[in-house]
Amino acid sequence: MANEAPSFKVQPVKSPLPTNTGTSDGNPLRRHKPGPDPLWSLPPALALLTALLGLSVLSTFCSAAELHPGSEIFRKQCASCHGAEGQGVAGEYDEPLQGSRSLSSLTRLIERTMPEDTPESCVGEDARQVAEFIFQEFYSTEARKKKGLLPPIEIARLTVPQYRNVVADLLGRFTPVPGGGKRDAATDQDPAVQPGLSAQYFQSEGMSKADKLKLERVDPNIDFDFAEGSPGADITPDQFAIIWEGALSAPDTGHYEFRVKTPNGTRLYVNRDNTGTRGKLRDDSSAAGQAALIDAWVSSGELQEHTARVFLLGGRQYPLRLEFFKYKEKASSIRLEWKPPRGTWAPLDQRHVSTARVPRTFVVETPFPADDRSLGYERGSSISREWQTATVNAAIATAAETVARLPLLAGFKDGAGDRDDPIREFLARFAAAAYRRPLSTKETELFREVLFTGATNPESAVRRAVILILTSPHFLYTDLTPQNEAPDQYTIASRLALALWDSIPDPALSDAAGQNQLGTPEQIEAQARRMLANPRTHEKIRSFFHQWLEIEERDLAKDREMFPEFDESVVADLRHSLDLFLEQVVWSDRSDYRELLLADYLLLNQRLRKIYDPAVSSPPAVAGPENTDPAESDETHSPATTPPDSFEPVVFAPGRRAGILTHPYLLSAFAYHNNSSPIHRGVFLTRNIVGRRLKPPPMAVAFKNEDFPADISMREKITRLTRDKACMSCHSVINPLGFALENYDAVGRWRTRENNLPVDSASAYVTDQGDTVQIQSARDIANLALGHESAERAFVTQLFHHLIHQPPAAYGLDTAEELGDQFRAKDFDIQNLIATIAVISAGHGIQASNATTESK
Amino acid sequence: MMTSPRTSRRRFLRDLGIGAAAIPFVNGLHTLRADPSGTSAAPKRLIVVFSPNGTLPDEFWPDEFGPEIPLALKPILSPLDPYREQMLVLKGVDNKIRGDGDNHMRGMSCLLTATELNPGNIQGGSDSPAGWAAGISIDQEIRNFFQSQKETRTRFGSLEFGVAVPNRADPWTRMCYAGNNKPVAPIDDPGQMLERLYGGSKDRDTVGSILDYVRDDLRRVSTQLSPEDRSLLQEHMQLVRQLEQDIDAAKNQNDLVHPEPDIDPNIELVNDNTPAISRMQIDLLVNALANDMTRVASLQFMRSVGQARMRWLDIQEGHHSLSHEPDKNEDAQDKLKRINVWFAGELAYLVERLIRTPEPGGRGGTMLDNTQIVWLNELGKGNSHTLKNIPFVLIGGGAGFATNRALDLDGAPHNRLWLALAHGMGHRTLETFGTAKYCVDGPLDLS
Repeated sequence: MANEAPSFKVQPVKSPLPTNTGTSDGNPLRRHKPGPDPLWSLPPALALLTALLGLSVLSTFCSAAELHPGSEIFRKQCASCHGAEGQGVAGEYDEPLQGSRSLSSLTRLIERTMPEDTPESCVGEDARQVAEFIFQEFYSTEARKKKGLLPPIEIARLTVPQYRNVVADLLGRFTPVPGGGKRDAATDQDPAVQPGLSAQYFQSEGMSKADKLKLERVDPNIDFDFAEGSPGADITPDQFAIIWEGALSAPDTGHYEFRVKTPNGTRLYVNRDNTGTRGKLRDDSSAAGQAALIDAWVSSGELQEHTARVFLLGGRQYPLRLEFFKYKEKASSIRLEWKPPRGTWAPLDQRHVSTARVPRTFVVETPFPADDRSLGYERGSSISREWQTATVNAAIATAAETVARLPLLAGFKDGAGDRDDPIREFLARFAAAAYRRPLSTKETELFREVLFTGATNPESAVRRAVILILTSPHFLYTDLTPQNEAPDQYTIASRLALALWDSIPDPALSDAAGQNQLGTPEQIEAQARRMLANPRTHEKIRSFFHQWLEIEERDLAKDREMFPEFDESVVADLRHSLDLFLEQVVWSDRSDYRELLLADYLLLNQRLRKIYDPAVSSPPAVAGPENTDPAESDETHSPATTPPDSFEPVVFAPGRRAGILTHPYLLSAFAYHNNSSPIHRGVFLTRNIVGRRLKPPPMAVAFKNEDFPADISMREKITRLTRDKACMSCHSVINPLGFALENYDAVGRWRTRENNLPVDSASAYVTDQGDTVQIQSARDIANLALGHESAERAFVTQLFHHLIHQPPAAYGLDTAEELGDQFRAKDFDIQNLIATIAVISAGHGIQASNATTESK
Repeated sequence: MMTSPRTSRRRFLRDLGIGAAAIPFVNGLHTLRADPSGTSAAPKRLIVVFSPNGTLPDEFWPDEFGPEIPLALKPILSPLDPYREQMLVLKGVDNKIRGDGDNHMRGMSCLLTATELNPGNIQGGSDSPAGWAAGISIDQEIRNFFQSQKETRTRFGSLEFGVAVPNRADPWTRMCYAGNNKPVAPIDDPGQMLERLYGGSKDRDTVGSILDYVRDDLRRVSTQLSPEDRSLLQEHMQLVRQLEQDIDAAKNQNDLVHPEPDIDPNIELVNDNTPAISRMQIDLLVNALANDMTRVASLQFMRSVGQARMRWLDIQEGHHSLSHEPDKNEDAQDKLKRINVWFAGELAYLVERLIRTPEPGGRGGTMLDNTQIVWLNELGKGNSHTLKNIPFVLIGGGAGFATNRALDLDGAPHNRLWLALAHGMGHRTLETFGTAKYCVDGPLDLS
């Protein structure tokens, strides 16, 4: 019998060995577990032995000496799609057959649905047997634990976003804040800052002068037409100058374009060290003028448009300065606009600028090859020649920046005689910050002495050193803690900073490590909670949502005739509305995941209200046939005095909106150019909200509207399209979820009719536990998700991937389950979940040496 | 805190995508291998040299003009005497461009463009304010012509060198224009120019010098890791080895016919260093031409209205102030003469360097034989601010002009000189240049 099952060779063993191929498990969530984990109690020699045996041998162990009767059924009926050992088959069901169902639930699932084409062929005792086999062999957590299927924490290099952030913060750590500005320790912000830009208006006496300050104020944006007049009292209309200064907040990483329109002279500086120049704006000696992003100081007598672009990292502030100069031209005007990544041209308004004084941030612009995303999240798991070229080029660019700004970074006066010591001191501190730990004696010697010996000048030593530091494995790899060794304090600090900021520890965190204050999960958690408030965390969470919601590269363009008002500006506003909603919910005190799915309001500005707010868009008297519903008009509204570009919550009638599920940005993203797409919406909901797995479609079928009769509903078209049995194994799940959103058109407006037919959004939906429930609205889906462990586990797992760039199971097979349980127990507190994940990652391995204290 | 001029300029260059941001090990340097047959035509080259504030007519213009009369040089041109037979001095060529802007501005920004200035917000004296020139300059026109053909295309197309040019950008400081409203800034920092020309190889050497440390780090770190993790670092080690080989290969491949000049890139950009900076820039310029990185170059000393204080000539006053002094101020006349002799001496150094550099490719002759130098000024005479009789000195064989003579062309628009230059450099389809009405009589006949 054994010989008939070649995939399951039997190795006679006396007793199943507990195995451990990964590192010890320090999951702080597991303190409730009774007794020391058997993994830790394994004698070291035995652990080494089993590690050496490796997976190939271990995976052939059977839990009993005799072959399980279910194995033959599995081989015949299941293995072709799931793989001989349940590992999955590419193009069939490519994910490993593992999960958290109970044995009885698994049995019922198999009885009901498997094998896909003939579920009736494996029922009753057969189903029970094969379920038991699967369960014991590889499906359950216990089985995988026994078989040593714990995935390892793989060594990883810095991901591309990590690389850019680390280098920015590395130089930032040595860059003085202009004017020694005071900052709030938690948020890194100056509390006295106002939205808008600080403006200084000068009367000029002669060309290129800004000598008599006449007016100081804060301008919310820069869009002035002074025509032939003066910009303010006591300023003559023929010659004057204005200087605007402040900080630009870049929400996302990417290229930012700037555009200045003026018939006069202007210079725009973005992310340059502010010189604070006043008086004579003409630059006869120093080089301030050379660093301008846009230098249009000489006018040409007619309205000109100057554009330039600059690469910025998201979640940071950059110095911005605009100089304006009129000298005897007839008229004057100036307008400053920008185009953020994936945005549209718009005035640079006070949502994105403030009067803060911030230093230049060095941004590595070197193009890098994309990180591996084959598992659905970015990992620094592979290296290549292109990657090495990029790291070398980035190191060269960073070295050039460091040398160019050495007096500033090392804190000596340009041309000062005693600069040698400050430079050596700087270099040693720079290396320690880059390696995220104190230097060894040898390294200290290298960076303080060896590299300076024989160098023609200190600058060339710095250049070599910076290139060396940034190409060393100590810098490039995130964590070089040897196997089975407890992390030291600095490693814990580094893990925390990478998890929450994709960057290096700040001084407070390094200090904590230096003072041995990261030894316990409580201490680590306290740091994690402090770090949550930093804008870096907010940026990382923002990019998580972009990934989770799959909106990174979406084209929302719609049919112009059907949706004439749905232009680029509306798309940009919707994106802002979504980002703002996520930001407000996540960083509110409650930080409640349920609000993300259930909120009955949308954040809308005037432009969006015209489209989405029924009270504004379609008063009952003139409502179109597809948007008539008097019940829509009983929302509350924000005060009429609200400025047109501010986003205020608009509450909708009960049942009409359910958080992100019905946010028009997502509804539009998952839609065709002229109608809803129940399949796109359904697949998104299935995978990301309800948390069920889908295999790839068995055949490629494109939806073509013209293939269907003109007088049937979208729902009916999709039903006919996916009627095939092979399709329905997944579409029985996808379609009901997609149909439940049929009340929203291609741009996410509410509708009660589609194609002149009443919308039918109700379906029977079978849960992964085999229960049938009726759903007919987005809120039903939200409640479904909130009532099922698989949904929250999917969310928790994706967040874990994004923060740690490793699978949660590498930190213990139950990590995702336990995080999910805790998430629910803590009222779905997202901030708490973020902190907990960071603590798990940072503290991994610390209990290896004191496992007994764990079991209280 | 202020950034130093040097760092800001470096950053400026880097932001243009030049220097460190360029791929370090594939820098695309031209290597001029010897042409064994020696048959291909020698490359034509153009060098424009500018010095400001007019000249002293009595000390500059030869006494006799005419195609048959051998050239006899006056004191200002005396440093160029050894090269007399390759020289052509042109009198009676006027910058006739009028419109907005004062004579210094038009003298400078209309000199190579031969077209009017746009209206604008920059005012000199009591003339109406003006902006940038409204068209391309002749050096850039010839550059574009060269770059449009495979045989004459070079890595940079043109290089704009400066000596003691202030950073401020206005019509007094810019003579080269890529087009209407598009001034081209000269680079007056030899260190920056060195980085632009050879930055890749410098970076390459620096990277090569630290790879041993990186390898040591990789080796030490690997030993502590699990076999699976170690394999990634072994791959990394492999990449480092490959990089080392690439660097060695690139070193051999990029052996230049004329090695990179050995200059100190850290020279301070101050007035008193001007003589040293001038020589460095000339060395870099000749080197770039010899290595065929470019065939068009300009060298701009100071700027129009430049106030260089030439203490190395024992002159304390600013150049522009001196140039305003009346003819009868003998002290000022003497100083201005010394200043212009100094400029001529720098030009002589350039000519000498070209003569001493054999034409690459084994074609025989010197680089000067195929290089057209044009020395010019924004004014004819400093204290009159005239744009007539701009002191044009042409040296070398690039454009095929007949030399060893001085011509008086009696008020010819300088547009026609630029047409002659373009045609001489091979750009014969150019029918007008700059303001068309000054081109009606076609290129000056200088052959």
